[in-house]
Amino acid sequence: MLPTSLREGALSELGRLTLSAFAGWWRIIHLGILILALVLSPSIYRRANRSALARHVYQSTMPNLLWFAVLSALLSLVLIRIVVVTALSYGLSQYALQMVVRVLVLELIPLTTALFVALRCTIPDGAEIAAMRSRGQFESPKIQGVDALRHEVLPRVVAGVFAVLTLAAVSCVLTLVLAYLSVYGFTRWGFAGYTHTVGQIFDAATTTIFALKIFFLSLAVSLIPVASVLYDSALARSRTSVELRGLVRMFLVILVVEAASLVGNYY
Amino acid sequence: MTEVAPGPASPVAHLELKVAMLLLLMLLLVGGSVVYVMYARGAFEATQQLVLVADDSEGVKVGMDMTFSGFPIGRVQRIELDPEGNARIIIDVPQRDAHWLRESSVFTLVHGMLGNTNIRAFSGILTDPPLPDGAVRKALVGDATAEIPRLVSAARDLVQNLTALSAPDSPLNASLANLQATTEKLKGPRGALGVLLGNEKDAGKLLAALDHTNTLLARVDGVVAKADSQVFGADGVMSETHAAIVQLNAMLGEARETLKRVDAVLQEAQGTASNVRVATTDLGALRAEVEVSLRKVEHLVDEVNRKWPFARDTELKLP
Repeated sequence: MLPTSLREGALSELGRLTLSAFAGWWRIIHLGILILALVLSPSIYRRANRSALARHVYQSTMPNLLWFAVLSALLSLVLIRIVVVTALSYGLSQYALQMVVRVLVLELIPLTTALFVALRCTIPDGAEIAAMRSRGQFESPKIQGVDALRHEVLPRVVAGVFAVLTLAAVSCVLTLVLAYLSVYGFTRWGFAGYTHTVGQIFDAATTTIFALKIFFLSLAVSLIPVASVLYDSALARSRTSVELRGLVRMFLVILVVEAASLVGNYY
Repeated sequence: MTEVAPGPASPVAHLELKVAMLLLLMLLLVGGSVVYVMYARGAFEATQQLVLVADDSEGVKVGMDMTFSGFPIGRVQRIELDPEGNARIIIDVPQRDAHWLRESSVFTLVHGMLGNTNIRAFSGILTDPPLPDGAVRKALVGDATAEIPRLVSAARDLVQNLTALSAPDSPLNASLANLQATTEKLKGPRGALGVLLGNEKDAGKLLAALDHTNTLLARVDGVVAKADSQVFGADGVMSETHAAIVQLNAMLGEARETLKRVDAVLQEAQGTASNVRVATTDLGALRAEVEVSLRKVEHLVDEVNRKWPFARDTELKLP
């Protein structure tokens, strides 16, 4: 049996860690609300901020747009072919199109896009913010923090959200076109049936869940890596770095969003 | 992952224009997708409602199709319970497809073998008045799985019958055994005769009869050959008959001549007979005269007798 002083020490350590974790999550939520408020305020779109915002949006989206579209088209084509051929071999070809649209458009593409943008843009952005913080640019928040938030953090977060939305939109449309061509070929006579199937899949609830899922995934991959490095301090007893903790949080949120969307769609 | 986006030091030409284009692209894609999904959901077309009432709405889901000849012409909008406890299935039918539904249309709710459910419309008479908006119809429920117990029962009966048929003491088995014995007999030395007659002795008799018949036929054949030579040979019956017929023809000619002469004699006899008839007529007149003379003589005798009363003999002697 542990001595009382040691037990009290462990309990206080556990409480401190729990409070620290909650505080970390709260800071992320707080930053998200702050950025949302800034996005909605007209002052953020003044010339100085606008150019920084435009530069980050462009650099996050444009270099990735073409080759991500090609990559997702290839992946979609392979998966569509597998699903269609398998469904055909089991005599279930009438369900192939539904399955393709559900699996690819509703589930895989949003997740892939979010992870892709996280790896290509937002995690490097977080590293940049961490470097800036280490250089002391965020040391006196009351004097410089707001400006740094406007000039450095907000453009990166908005650029991440925009990149996820744009890449997801391009990939989803591309996949829908490829699914049509794979199932019906180059003919317009399948359009009515295809539209009917798409209409059956995208009912009001599914469409809402789909839109919310993409929005929250984009918010998660854009906000969490930046917020983690912005507020977290390297704990003396923690074996993980600030960036890694941010990654863990991001994947946790992605998992929660994905699970929530699955529950909403299929239960 | 470690790649860092270019810093502020790397300027991009026409940055704001490019970002505006990107923004426009995203808005176009998202807006187009939203419009397409709304179009696919039928948001831009006028619909009319059809209410199907069924005892059980199991398997019916919001958004599922109602088909007509395999084409989806309606979509389940909602499902609710009516005060009688029946399920009311409200279906939106686009007005461009509503003309397939008529007053006489029949609606079925079919549960498939795999648990899938289909709502189908059947319109037998397409010239009937169209179905009005908000029409309430009874859905005929057909359950493929409900047939399974009956099918199993029928299959059990069938299996029992088959078992009875194939049992060791079944008539079919006995018939097959008999058939096998018959086949064995057919393959035996007596063959089909053994099968037909049943025993070897009778079959032997039949074969002996056949042999005798063959011998008899051979004899009959010889007899026929002899008869042929006697009838149709050079000195046969037929040639003599021919000569006899020639002679008969000559005799018939002579007979014809004789008959002609007889005919002439007959004509003469006929003339003689007519003469006789005339003579007979004259003889009648003579007889009449004789009768008159006799009556006169009789009258005279009567007169003599009256005048000669002594005479007792009144008998008159004719000359």
